[in-house]
Amino acid sequence: MVEESIMGANERRKLTRREALSTAGKVAAGVIVAGIAGGVAGYFAGSATAPTTTVTETRRETIATTIISTKTVTVSPTVTAPPPVVGKECIVKLRPGLYFADGTPLTAHDVVRSIDRVAKIEGDPAWFVLDFLDDWKALDDNTVKFTLKEPVAFFPALLAVPTYFPVHPAYKPDEIDSDQTAGGAGPHKIIKWTRDVELVLESNPYWFAGMPKTKQVIVKFYKDATALRMALEAGEVDIAWRTLRPTDIQDLKKKEGIEVLEAPGGAIRYIVFNMHIPPFDDPRVRKALAAALDRKAICEKVYLGTYEPLYSMVPMGMWSHKDSFKEKYGDRNLELARKLLEEAGYSSSNKLKIELWYTPTHYGDTEVDVATMIKQQWEEIGMVEVELKSAEWTTYLDYTRNRMLGASLYGWYPDYIDPDDYTSPFVNEAGRWLGNAYVSEELGKLLVEARTKTSIEERTTLYERIQDIWAEDAVIVPFAQGKLEIAYRKGIKGVVLDPTLLLRYWLIYKEEGGRIADRIIIGVTDKVTDLDPANAYDFFTWEILNNIMTGMMRYIPGTTELEFGLAASYSLV
Amino acid sequence: MTSLKVFVIARLLLVIPTILLLVSLVFFIMRVMPGDPVIAIVGMKAPPERVLELRKALGLVDESGNPIPLPIQYLNYLANLFRGDFGRSLIWGKRPVLVEIMEHLPATIELAIAGFLVSIILGVALGTLGGWKGGKTNSAVKIYSAITYALFIPWIGMMFQLLFAVWLKVLPVGGRIDPGLEPPMITGLYLLDSILTGRWDSFVSALRHIILPSLTLGLVISGIFSRVARTSVEEVMRQDFVIAARARGIPEHRLVIHVLRNAFIPIMTMMGLQLALLMTGAILTETTFSWPGMGTFLFERIEYRDYTTVQGTVVFFAIIISLINLVVDILYAYIDPRIRY
Repeated sequence: MVEESIMGANERRKLTRREALSTAGKVAAGVIVAGIAGGVAGYFAGSATAPTTTVTETRRETIATTIISTKTVTVSPTVTAPPPVVGKECIVKLRPGLYFADGTPLTAHDVVRSIDRVAKIEGDPAWFVLDFLDDWKALDDNTVKFTLKEPVAFFPALLAVPTYFPVHPAYKPDEIDSDQTAGGAGPHKIIKWTRDVELVLESNPYWFAGMPKTKQVIVKFYKDATALRMALEAGEVDIAWRTLRPTDIQDLKKKEGIEVLEAPGGAIRYIVFNMHIPPFDDPRVRKALAAALDRKAICEKVYLGTYEPLYSMVPMGMWSHKDSFKEKYGDRNLELARKLLEEAGYSSSNKLKIELWYTPTHYGDTEVDVATMIKQQWEEIGMVEVELKSAEWTTYLDYTRNRMLGASLYGWYPDYIDPDDYTSPFVNEAGRWLGNAYVSEELGKLLVEARTKTSIEERTTLYERIQDIWAEDAVIVPFAQGKLEIAYRKGIKGVVLDPTLLLRYWLIYKEEGGRIADRIIIGVTDKVTDLDPANAYDFFTWEILNNIMTGMMRYIPGTTELEFGLAASYSLV
Repeated sequence: MTSLKVFVIARLLLVIPTILLLVSLVFFIMRVMPGDPVIAIVGMKAPPERVLELRKALGLVDESGNPIPLPIQYLNYLANLFRGDFGRSLIWGKRPVLVEIMEHLPATIELAIAGFLVSIILGVALGTLGGWKGGKTNSAVKIYSAITYALFIPWIGMMFQLLFAVWLKVLPVGGRIDPGLEPPMITGLYLLDSILTGRWDSFVSALRHIILPSLTLGLVISGIFSRVARTSVEEVMRQDFVIAARARGIPEHRLVIHVLRNAFIPIMTMMGLQLALLMTGAILTETTFSWPGMGTFLFERIEYRDYTTVQGTVVFFAIIISLINLVVDILYAYIDPRIRY
């Protein structure tokens, strides 16, 4: 049976959350089962546990027309069933005939050299390599063998992180090369780079997936969101991207000639109750406060709709997401909150007195409003008195690490797109940066198990269980998930947003007088911090790197699904 | 030794403790600020070895990881500074701070010169007019001075952007030049470089981009100049030589030159002082107009808690302003011999 659908990139982004969930659930975190290029056999997690397996193969028939062809086929599983847990060895075969943007051939040795650099330089993102790998070597010109420290099912997702991208030999071998413009094997190449001013990209004729539609993409840097918004209105830029203010977005939605696109992002907000600090050592107190939260009000009144209510640490749009907090506490349940507090010995005459900490600028200037609204919501229980306290980011971190904050507000951006990244770093020893606020032996075991299972179904079951325990413990309480918002002038096509937070420039084009324009200008207020993947560690810079380089794996635009990038096949044994 | 030479030497010697005091202030303020800068830079999830590495880079601990006493840190810092070593950035490739400063300095100099010209032309012309004509004109200039001096740069900048860029679409919202039109680098000042290389398209683009920021900056500072020029001209106008000149029938256009020459000393003093304000004003102007100069650079590095760069840039600013004041004082002494005694 073959079902084939052709859709434009703009249509693709209109996937509903349910659709995104269902498609993401099939193949997220590296579950494409067969080699795309040349039909090389290989498998990812979950590939062979069912009698038949769904394969989503995404091909760009012609990148020039930004048409994405999604073909769903039913195939037989691999002959030998894989072990129930992932192994420590991973073999990646590269596509044949790969080149860097200047025509230099790209081989497995370049992959190894690039990862060697990361390990030698030990920049901020080096942990993506050093924490997971024992060894990496080229078996021949087209094959790389990775030896993992511990088996992890989401290793393919790590291969989509820029830290693993092969870089041009021009990069300095053992030191950070922040302004190096040689790039890698991506859809674009840099032809001009003036830090903080502009980045000019041109199509890379050697890219394995064809030519981007727009010949030249200029990224123009603005210092201020208001200036960026005016630049869009004045027609100085075609697209206003990261990051417009919520009020600007609201205004731009009403402007003629401007379109605003929204999609769920990967950023989440949450409250941390340190379970070692009274009164938060009492689960009834934590549950009562969790039950009294009105997430919708926070998202609508403070964030003006730029955030959505979130009821789980695993964000909406990601496979295994479950609204565990909603199932347990409802949208808002003041009665339950009162009951729990009464059980804990509090009353309207003997109120629970707590401090809620926030940091005033790190999460934007709305933070004081977020804290104030949470205080109001908790005080509406009638048995709680909240004192708001704030500290600048550096002090806030000190206090948190030193276990001085009972209740505090925090936020999280993903490092890699997998439920593991939204759960493991907060619990037990990994959560020391939160003052070890959340300690749970049961959760620790489940998280390790979920990391190592090959079957996506099994992993989903485990993460659903983890989310339920999370809601039951109510130590870390998620409340909002950021939306991605982008505004562009009419005539711009091919803009795709998804929780990976990446904008793919190679899909974007502008129709002008019946023809496709040679150039588009994207305005941003974010910075390109470092053109060296060995040191780059922020989402906007990763976006640029994704446009001038390609990983062995990459995400299918509009989803959190992985597909092969420079790799032709992958096997984890 | 002439009195001017003595004055210059004395003034030069005074620069040393001034700079030392500024440098010390910056150093100690950066260290008494609350919070751990290292954790702020590397983030909460950083492994201990990364934290230690950064502490070493900041000169906070020695090779064995033992804390270095503050006085020793201070002496090390001064010794490096004396060698022209402003340190290395803690972020983005850890480039030398001085290199980063030099990359951003030409943009600020260009904007400062343009803004300064606008402020002098507007301020001195209106101030002279008010002081000369008196009456309602004088009152109008007084009001102009008060209003422009009180203007908040981001607000007036935004108004100009709305009017000229969004509504009239005649000037750009921000930036320094259109993409692809940068002239070959000679001085780093785009207007000058485009003239020197005959790139007229670049010149026009650079000129269009500098109009709004220089007008914004110049307008705010012109309020001070117009006030000083007006009171100074008024004062000179009351002097006997002006009354005598008028009595002799000397034409007004010739008289104004004599009046301005006499009124110029306080204006020039103010120019020296305003150069410092121009630098701080440039931070706001540059941020509003996305002008890639020292102001935005400093602002951005404060946001990223790049301590060595912030420290180096503030010290650099302090040295530059001390030197500007030195030059102004010397010029002042040259023009008015009474200063030397």
